[in-house]
Parts: sequence; C-alpha cells; structure tokens
Amino acid sequence: MPNLSPFFVTGLAVGAIYALSGVGLVVLYRASGVLNFAYGAIGAVGALLAWQLLQYELPETLAWLAGIGLATLLSLGYGRMVAPHLAYRDTVVKAVATLGFALVLLGFSRWYWSDDPRQFAIPTDTIGVSMLGVRVTVTRMIAFSMTLLITIGVALFLTRTRLGLLMRALANNRDLSALLGIQVLQVETWAWFISGVLAGISGLMLSDLVRLDAIVLTFMVIPAMAAAVVGRLRSLWGTMIGGLLIGVLEAVATPFQVISPYRSVAPFVVAIIVILWLQRRRVITFAGGT
Amino acid sequence: MTSRSLNSDSTTQGESMTRWPVTVASLRSMAGVAIPLILVAIILPGLLSAFWLRALTSSAIFALAAAGVALLYGRLGLVSLAQVALLGVGAWVALRLSHGTDLPFELVLLGGGIVTGLVGLIVGLPALRMRGLYLALITLMAAGGFQVIVGGTGFPDGGSGFLGRVTSASARLLMERPFVAQSDEAYFRYVLVVVAAGFLLVEIHRRTRPGRAWALIRKSEACALSAGVNVTLYQTWAFTLAGFLAGIAGGLLAGSVGQLDGRNFPASSSILLFALTVVGGVYSWLGPAITGLLYRAFPSLLIAWNIDGNLAFIVFGAALLHALITAPAGIAGQLGDVGRWLSSRIGRRGGTR
Amino acid sequence: MFNLRFALTHNRRSQLLIALLIVMMLLLAGCFGGGDSSSAGDSGTTADTAEESAAEPVAGEEEATEKEAAAEEEAMPKEEAQTTEAMANTLCGLGTGEAATGEPINVGAVVGATGPDDFSSAAKGAAAYFNCVNANGGINGRPINYIVEDDGWDPEQAAQVAAKLVNDDKVVALVGNTSFVECAANAQLYEDENVIVITGVGVPRECFYSANIAPTNQGPRLSNLGVIQYAYETYGARKFACMAPNVPGMAEWICDGLAAWGADKGVTIEPVFFDPATMDPTSLILQAVSSEPDAITISTPAGVAIPLFGAAEEQDLRDKYHWLGPTSLYDLDFPAAVGSYWDGYLDAEIELVNTDSTSPDNQAWLQILDEYGTPDDPRDSFSQAGFLAAKIFVATALELDPASLDRDTVTEALRGVTNFKTDLMCGSWYFGPDLDTHNANHAGRIVSQVDGGWETITDCFEIEDPDLAPILDMEAQGGLID
Repeated sequence: MPNLSPFFVTGLAVGAIYALSGVGLVVLYRASGVLNFAYGAIGAVGALLAWQLLQYELPETLAWLAGIGLATLLSLGYGRMVAPHLAYRDTVVKAVATLGFALVLLGFSRWYWSDDPRQFAIPTDTIGVSMLGVRVTVTRMIAFSMTLLITIGVALFLTRTRLGLLMRALANNRDLSALLGIQVLQVETWAWFISGVLAGISGLMLSDLVRLDAIVLTFMVIPAMAAAVVGRLRSLWGTMIGGLLIGVLEAVATPFQVISPYRSVAPFVVAIIVILWLQRRRVITFAGGT
Repeated sequence: MTSRSLNSDSTTQGESMTRWPVTVASLRSMAGVAIPLILVAIILPGLLSAFWLRALTSSAIFALAAAGVALLYGRLGLVSLAQVALLGVGAWVALRLSHGTDLPFELVLLGGGIVTGLVGLIVGLPALRMRGLYLALITLMAAGGFQVIVGGTGFPDGGSGFLGRVTSASARLLMERPFVAQSDEAYFRYVLVVVAAGFLLVEIHRRTRPGRAWALIRKSEACALSAGVNVTLYQTWAFTLAGFLAGIAGGLLAGSVGQLDGRNFPASSSILLFALTVVGGVYSWLGPAITGLLYRAFPSLLIAWNIDGNLAFIVFGAALLHALITAPAGIAGQLGDVGRWLSSRIGRRGGTR
Repeated sequence: MFNLRFALTHNRRSQLLIALLIVMMLLLAGCFGGGDSSSAGDSGTTADTAEESAAEPVAGEEEATEKEAAAEEEAMPKEEAQTTEAMANTLCGLGTGEAATGEPINVGAVVGATGPDDFSSAAKGAAAYFNCVNANGGINGRPINYIVEDDGWDPEQAAQVAAKLVNDDKVVALVGNTSFVECAANAQLYEDENVIVITGVGVPRECFYSANIAPTNQGPRLSNLGVIQYAYETYGARKFACMAPNVPGMAEWICDGLAAWGADKGVTIEPVFFDPATMDPTSLILQAVSSEPDAITISTPAGVAIPLFGAAEEQDLRDKYHWLGPTSLYDLDFPAAVGSYWDGYLDAEIELVNTDSTSPDNQAWLQILDEYGTPDDPRDSFSQAGFLAAKIFVATALELDPASLDRDTVTEALRGVTNFKTDLMCGSWYFGPDLDTHNANHAGRIVSQVDGGWETITDCFEIEDPDLAPILDMEAQGGLID
C-alpha cells in the first residue's frame, strides 16, 4: 500500500477548486433556478483579461479586480438581458440557454486569445509549507481557505440577511414570491451579481493552480457540477464536502498504476452514484412531461 | 382512451387509423424526400472535391446521431448530453469487431449499433425516475466519464486483447470499409443509404404505436398510465433507439476515418451536438439533417475560407440562444414556415385547391 | 407550433420545397467544393504565388491570401524584384534574385495548429524558405505554392485536409508536416496516391514506420534515449522515471525504447503515463518520485511540461533528482517560462543543431526567417526541421526537368535522396527507399539550462536504440551516407 498522505493533501487542494466553483453554481441555482453552464467560461474570460492587463504591465491588484469585474459584468449582462426571456421555461431549457452563452464566450476567448500556453502566476506561488510529505504553496492554502470562507459567508448571507431570505423565497416559488411583492428581477440580479463575482474569483484561482486555457477553464464546470450534484444542488456545505471528496478521490488514485490514467473519472463516478442514490425512491410523478 | 384519439399528433383527418398508416399521402411525402435524396446520392459525389466529400460524409453521419437526440428531446422532452459519447462507444465496438473478427462491415456496424443501444438503455434506466435537469446532468456525467476512459484506452487499431491496441512494435491498422464501398465516393453513397434507413426507422417509430405512446407520455404520464401504455417500456425503447442510431453512426465514422483518437470525444462535443440539434429543429427529420451540416459542413466551410474556426462557436451559441428564445422549432421549423408560406402563395396563384 | 408539425409532415408541397432547398444547398456546397481549393492554415505560413507580390518581405505585414492559382493558369505577369532581398539570397534555390513566374508547383503540409498545442512552426520555417526560393528563380522558373492545412489534432480532420491536399490540390509532395495524429490517419492515403511526405517533425511512432513518410527529426523515442544515455554516463543514473503523455504510438513506444536499451545495463525504467490534459500536475510529480528514481525524464511538448516543472519547483525537488527531457523542451522561451530555479538542473537532448549556432546553414535559417518569415514565427527546433525539409525538397526538385515535374517524378526523386549534407543535423539525411521505416537522424547533442538560456555541453553522439538495427544495417551497405 503506497503512502497516500501526500496525495491526500494535493487532493484537498484540487478539491477546493471544484468546491469553489460548485458553490458559485449552487448559489445561482438556488436563487434563479438556472444551472449556469457558462460559469467556467465567464471565469475564463475574466482570467484572460487579467492576464492581458498584466502583460500591459498594470499593477496586479488592478488586473485581478478588472478580471473579476468583467466576469461580474458578463454574468449580470446575461442575467438581465437574456435570462428574463426564459424565466417561465423549465429548468432544463434555462440551463441549455446558458450553454449557448458558454459557447459564445468560449469562441470569443479562443479567437481573441489564441491557444498559446499561458501561465498565470501569483506571488504567493513561491512560498510554501511542508505538510505530510508534500509541499503546499500559500496559493493553495489561500484557495482552500477562500473556499471555506466563501461557503460560510454565502451560507450566512442566505440565512441571516434580508436579501438572502428573498433569494431563498424566490428559489422556493417564483410566482408566489412575486405575488408577495418581492422584487423578483432585483433579487435575481443580485444573485447573478454574486455568482459573477464568484466565477471571477474561481477563474483566477483556477488559472493559477491549473492552467490558463479557455477550454480547460470552461469545461471545469462539469466537475464543478459534479460537486454541486453531491450537494443536491441545494446545500452549500454538501457542495463543498462533495468537491473536496472528489478532489481527494482523484488524487489518491494516482499511485495505483492500473487506474491511474483514469483517475479523472472520479468526479463523474461520484456524481452518477449520488444522483442514482438520490433518485432511488422516486416514483413516476403525475406532473406531466418534463 | 382509444388509439384513435392518440393519433392527433401524427396523422391528418383523412388518413385511416390503421396500425401502420401506409396511405397514398404518406407514400407521396416519402417519395418527396426519397427522390431528391437519390438524386443527391447519384450526382453529388462527382461534383464535389475530396475535401467536401468527406465533410458531407461526416455531416450525414452526425445527422444520424442528431436524429437520436432529436427523438429524445422532440418526442419525449428528455435532454441527452451523451450522444457523441455513445457514438464513440459504437465506433469502439465496430473497430474492435472489424479488427478482431472477419465479419463483414454490415454486421460489424450492426454489432456496434446493438451494443450501443444496450448502453443507451443503461444510460436511460435512470430516466425512468428522473426528469429534466437531473437526467441532463447524469448524461453529462456519463459523457465526461467516457471522455476520460476512452482517453486512456484509446480506440482499437489492430492489436489483440480486450482493448485491441497494438503494442509499440507493430503498425496500426485502419478499419476495413465495406466491400461495395471502398472509395470515398462510394462510401458517401453507402453512408447516405444507411442514414436514410436510420431516418426511416425513426419515422416508422413515429407513425406507429411507439410514436403515439411517446406523444401521450409527453402530454401527461398520468393519462398514459391510465390508458394502459407501458411508460417504462416506451421510455427505455426511446433511449435504446437513440443509442442504436448513435452506434451505427459511430461505426460509419470509424469506417470513414479509419482510425480514431481517444482525445476527440470530449463531453463538450456531446453538449455541442445537443445545442445544434435544438438549433436545427427537433420536430421533423429535417432538423437532424441541418444539425449534421452545422456540426461538420459549416466548420469545413470556415476551414476552406480560412476563417478562424472558433468563430463557429460564437455563431452556434448565438443560434442556440435565438432558437430557445424565439424559435423553438429550430431552423427546420423556420424553413417549414417559409415552405408553408411559399406553397400557400403558389397554391393561391394556382387557383383552386 | 403544432401547425408547423402538420405542415411539415402533411403538406407535401411544402415538403417538396424543403427538399429542393436542401438539394440546392448541397449543390452550392458542391460548387464551392469543386472550384475552391484554398491555401494557408495560419498567418504567415503560405508562400505567395508570383502574381501576388511574392518578392515582398512578409515581415510585419498581413498574412498571405487564400485563393490558390489554378494549376492551368499560364504566364503570370512578371513581378518587380525587390533589390535588397534579391541580392542577399544566393542561399535559396537558384539564387537569381528574380521572382519566379511560370506554372506553380503545389506543395502541401498538414500541421496540428489549433488544439492542445500549436505545432505550426515547422510549416512556418518551410514557408519562409519557399518564399525565398520563389523570390530567387523558383524551381527552375516555377514558383512553389505552399498550402498549409490545420488538422486540429483530430484524425477526422487530418484525413479530410489530407484528401484535399492530395486529391484536390494535387500536391507533388508534403513538406513540413507536424502532427500528433496525421501520420497514422493518412499513411495509407499517401501510399495509395504515391506521394512522399518529408515531415518537419514526426511525433508518434507511425511517422517513423510508414513507407512514404520520412522525418528530418529523430523522434521522441531516440531523443529521450539520447538524454538517458547522457545521464547514464555522466551522472551514473540507473533508475529513470519515464513521464510520457498517454497517446497512442507514444508513451509505450518511448518508454519501451528506454527499457530495451537499458535491459543489459542494469537500468530500470518506471513509466508514468498520464493524460496530457490533466489538471493536477503535482500528483503526477509525486507519482514519478515515489519510485525513488535517480533521474526523471519528462517527454511532453513544452506547454504540458511547464506546469509539471512548476509543480516540481513547488515541491523543491531539483536537488533530489536529475531532470531530463527530449528535444521538445528545447525552446528559447522555456527557461524563462520555468524560471531561474531550474538553471543548471535541467538537461535536454536536441535533434538538430542549437538554434543560436553560428554554423552556415543555421545562420541561413535565421536570416531567411527574418527576411521572408514574420516576427511572430517561433525560432525553435521545429522551425529548423521544417526549414531542412524544405531545403531537401528544393534541392531535389531543382534537378528535375521543370516541364515534366509532377508527383510521380518528384516521388521518385525524393526516394533517391542520399547523402544530403547539412550542418543542421549531426549526420547526413537520406530517404532510404528499401525499408518501410525512415529515421535518418539518429545522432544528437545535449544542452543544459544555464543562466536563463541553453548551453550546448556535448558534441554529436550516436543514439543506441536497439530498434535502429535494420536502419544501421542498411546504412552499412553503403550508398546512403558517406
């Protein structure tokens, strides 16, 4: 049995990435009923803008803020201009529409910033601490603690603030909330805003920890969805734990030569198992079609 | 509820309500499709350059795969984000059979189709209990899982063992094409015939009992159950059929290219195929045909014109948004609008009708 | 919406109209396809034909236009020669300084440009040389029309563009191919259509074991073996971790080669195959070091290697193991990308002469790239390989009668190439028609990362791959190299 502890640590670092993206997805889904396939693409465009500004020798903080700002703008733009047209369609259609947005963003990023390999570096990459046989850089620790803090922060926001309450009401029943006088559009806009900020942050973190590549970042949304699924698209803590679990499983499989080339399948296997488990007792409802 | 009233979706008032409504009208409409198709098959390969011949062969293959997606979404409202992965499964099985046995191409194709149909069945079993988003997610996860697995196993290329990969010491083989269709032109015609047969299979399903059952299930499962329709059976039948079509398409793709690479079946392709199926239209046979052209012929056009292929993604994404918001029946629906408008004009000019 | 369904399925007139529309669209595509054979995959890679200002320097200007001249066109208007380049370039072809007019010769290339990495620099190197040749009399008066196509790292697309080049554009040869997938997908097509491919850079095994494909480079197996040999002799390393991307015809081929060489020398090889798209380089590094090797070789393109070196740096592993790599790491931007942490700790094997060498052929390459390429063209070993392939083609084609120059004559001539001397390679290049395997380049040098750059630290040495035996036997029989 090989020594698994270093892989456990690296797994937590990768898992934190999945968890962070997953939390952003769940927040938006809870408030607006939209599962945002474009989440990764929005983050990618923000990260690419930040990289571009760094190439122009702008100060780092400004570049990062600009990247996050662009991601927020894109998210808001979609939320205000496109999403309302689909507000009364079912969740699948709303999700598929974000797919269209993701394709547009992906095509634009790859066209404007070609495929050359890029590396995004943050100063904390070079400082590190040794832990259980593997060296963990400060950036990874920041990513992990940020995930934790964001999850706590968003959970508190949803339960303790008025806006959070309105969002939860909206997620529960949109029509009833409108009847009660909740400003539906306003609350949804806030949800898209928060999701955009989180997308921008995850985009930056991912491009530092993984690779600054539009396709990779865009389709990171699939393992992120796996993490969200573990949280039943509802629970932030479940999402966070799901993301970490997936990351650890994936990393811990590395030293076993037989399954090592296939270890990236971990998010999908976990998601499928969870979905099947969650739906195990459901019977056919009489709710009609989809 | 009798079967008569279940027919509202698929017949006009004048047709007889037999189990297989072979009427003069339906024969004429099929001829209306078949004759141009035969003309295309005969004339086109001679006119096309080698580049476009391959592009259109690929378009036809993916049109067949899109037919499966359109079937699930248009008839049952089920989103399948795993069709390209199923196509990959079909290609894998076809390649393994072709290299490992002496079976003729047609049997290899069928073998791939049947195995993929079974896989489609397995993927569809959760559909019995799931709807909407969760089904889409589970198919997406299956596609993601296939991407990783096939990236590691690769496609068979003449070697032995289960995976059929050659060791480092020998040459990699191409898949054998059918005896009657060795050249690119002949293979294009062969593909057209097989794809037409696939579309015909879907049409037959649509016009007979499964089609009626699907329409009723889509309207209301409660009604379907109380009408005595075996909802489980027909839903899994739809998934199996979609899988079968994807498998056949996969075998055709393997024959067209000869060797496939495990890194070219990402989950994003399945997502893109679904998006383009919605854009093309899911309510008639024309939609998947348009989807095939969008998926393969349009990017080839960009290559030929030297335009960056990434602009295609922008067009596709915008088209998807447009289709979802304003034109739910897709391009096929809009063409149908145009067709109806034109024919009503012509009819009016023609006087009596 | 339901009316639409009725309309589509029951109004047969509208159905006929729709069918007619489809047929029209397909016929239009056919017309496009029939008449259109475009050129150029990437900016700055095509050689313009004479009627499109071939003699002007491409540097800093917009990329080449697409529409190729139909092969039947005769007597292009004569271009004014640009004086500065014309005088300087006796290095290209005939060196006349006059732009070539006459019937263009179509030459093709398939490169993996869009995808996990951009491999088009070989074609850019070849394009620069062809531009220069066209400005200096062409092939006995006939200009070269260089058509570069992108295969997008997809065998389906590779087969499609190869069919275009071979069957539509009727190229006489392909020069400067660089792709992970196209050798395997198209080898049969090239054999069937009797066309020779001189790759820029052959990557997987099929590029070295196909009858009609002859690379100018060594291939990752030989390149890795070269640096392993060096580590064996210089550092006394006996246990190696072989990190390679899990691509057909690569990972096993490379690591098996190392194992075959080391079998009787007490050398063990620990393979680490991985998905090149992996998002977790740290785990891979941990896996590689878990077997406690003496040295680790990272056999991937530079773009994939950079995160791996970043992960190794995070773990502060440079002192614990020797770090090696094949020629794919030899990129002048690589030391800057991985950082000064690795100065003095990384060795690589190079298949061609170092890119800053002062030898005549290498200087010619740099000069011609400056004058006939674009500033964005990478000056890396891929470009050298493409340039060398172009030189071989031009030298061979110049000996043929321009009036009867076609694919068959070119193929026959290329098969007969022997003893092509160049200081870009350690030895001479030849085709070797008697075998179905071609690997003329099998000697290399070692470079080391020093002070943010690369320094050559050995002379040419032979790489001792057991699988080279048939090729070495063939060479021993004489006539191919001196």
